[in-house]
Amino acid sequence: MTLRTTIAAVFRGRKLAALGAVWLCIITVAAIGAQFIAPFDPLEIDPIARLSEPGLPYLFGTDHFGRDTFSRAVYGARMALIIGIGSVLVALICGGLIGLLSAYFSTLGHFLMRIIDVLMAFPALLLALVLMTLLERSVINTVIVIGIVYATTTARIFFGMTLKLKNEVFIDAARCSGAGHGSILFRHILPNLWSPLLVQASFIFAFAQLQAAALDFLGLGLPPEVASWGNMLAEEKIYITRAPWLLMFPGALIILSVFSMNLVGDAMRDSIDPRFKNDIAGI
Amino acid sequence: MLGYTLKRLLTLIPTLLVASILIFLFVHLIPGDPASILLGDSATPEEIASLSAHMGLDRPLWQQYLVWFKNVLHGDFGQSIFFKTPVLEVIADGAETSICLALMTMFWIVLIGIPVGIVSASFHGSWVDQITSGGAMLLASIPTFWLGLYLILIFSVGLGWFPSSGFPSISDEGGLSNLRYLILPSLTLAAPNAALIVRLVRASMLDVSREDHVRTARAKGLHPARVSIKHVFRNALIAVAAAFGFTFAALVSEAVVTETVFSLPGIGRLVVQSILRRDYPVIQGVILLIVLLYLVINLLVDLAYARLDPRVSLQ
Repeated sequence: MTLRTTIAAVFRGRKLAALGAVWLCIITVAAIGAQFIAPFDPLEIDPIARLSEPGLPYLFGTDHFGRDTFSRAVYGARMALIIGIGSVLVALICGGLIGLLSAYFSTLGHFLMRIIDVLMAFPALLLALVLMTLLERSVINTVIVIGIVYATTTARIFFGMTLKLKNEVFIDAARCSGAGHGSILFRHILPNLWSPLLVQASFIFAFAQLQAAALDFLGLGLPPEVASWGNMLAEEKIYITRAPWLLMFPGALIILSVFSMNLVGDAMRDSIDPRFKNDIAGI
Repeated sequence: MLGYTLKRLLTLIPTLLVASILIFLFVHLIPGDPASILLGDSATPEEIASLSAHMGLDRPLWQQYLVWFKNVLHGDFGQSIFFKTPVLEVIADGAETSICLALMTMFWIVLIGIPVGIVSASFHGSWVDQITSGGAMLLASIPTFWLGLYLILIFSVGLGWFPSSGFPSISDEGGLSNLRYLILPSLTLAAPNAALIVRLVRASMLDVSREDHVRTARAKGLHPARVSIKHVFRNALIAVAAAFGFTFAALVSEAVVTETVFSLPGIGRLVVQSILRRDYPVIQGVILLIVLLYLVINLLVDLAYARLDPRVSLQ
């Protein structure tokens, strides 16, 4: 199946999910070309135009420093993409490897999955809060912490899926023909898990946005000078009565992006191998 | 069943032990020395050293852990550095708010989440289903604090219907009418979780409705609504109950944010403030109790699950 037919199959009869995919493309373009799209420097202060209403030249208005909300929102898209992709990579690489190895080598697995069980007893945000306190507030640390939090669920899911595959006849066949552990794991088992992996990635991406915004809001996420949607909300929350539109734009951007990612994930989940469908818990 | 219960109880102990070690390590790796924070900027190094020794902070980490764990087993979680009172008292002070908030939130979740989920599954594929399940997904995509802030703006600042922050105890003046302080926070907290329940009820009802006994019930000519409720929903409820532990964890995470937005004197805000104040004993105590509560809830859920579905305990 070519890429085009796959995409067509995923979005057939799902107009909303297709719209979500389009929105995610727009966010990606904004993130990559932020410096060409943003009309102002996101850090440039214009004290005379503090808290101005949406209009011209400030499309989305300005914040309490007089910074252009639209430009900050465009740069925020870049941060959203970095946080999303970064946490997905951390979660999938750590969690995926732990799950895969634990299911394949059962002694090691017994030990590793117990640790995962313990970590899963911590509510996600609480774990993230404590880990963030250990580290400095920075982009990379936020990515690592959110990635670790979701590595636990990812490990559990991959553990289950690998267990199902491990006893299939084609794995026995590979073993009989002399394939080593590495070859069985990465050439026979892993390729079967690519599509559930992609679905899981989309849900982690969505959750990571909400988690990062909550951390920013509590003052334990990205450094305050970084233009992210969460920080924009955190900084302007006390001005909500004077400038109610200020929190509308970053909030709407978060909601739209998370919603789109959930829709796309949901559409993809329906078209993967039915054996794995119930393993992946999205929204 | 008894064997299964014992087995599950036994697995609880190592999990709790490892969790307590992790919590202790996490909290002690947090940069910032509590003794110097407590004494402020004007303290001399000698004063800091003597207070550290007094608090036992100069001993090796494993000794500190053993002392702490032994005391915890005796029900002594230590003294709060900030409040100078026992940690359990500090937690108990926040318990009323958090429990009231949790109960009210559960009320909304059950009142809204379950009926909407049933409707969504019963009209599977129709526009009703698309609107309700799509709406639930949209609701779950809203950051909790953002929803809370706009609810305050509209219903407290704008319309003046509900108070915007704080929560006086229901034993104070005002009595049960003080619960109005919790209406906006509980709605905020319920929104994403009710959405999860809608999706969950819908998905498990669709799973059950493909089973043979449901087809038999339909073939007998039972009324579709009766099949939906008595045959499909009742079985689907088992899967929903099984996810209750997961809902609890999500609820705690979002309660931390919600209590901060509405300045509620609950346990969630206590965690955030204790982290910012480096109040080690309180952070340790609260997190340990939350993990314990989570494990107990999951245990009860598993036992109930095994009771409802005997196949589970045989595996």
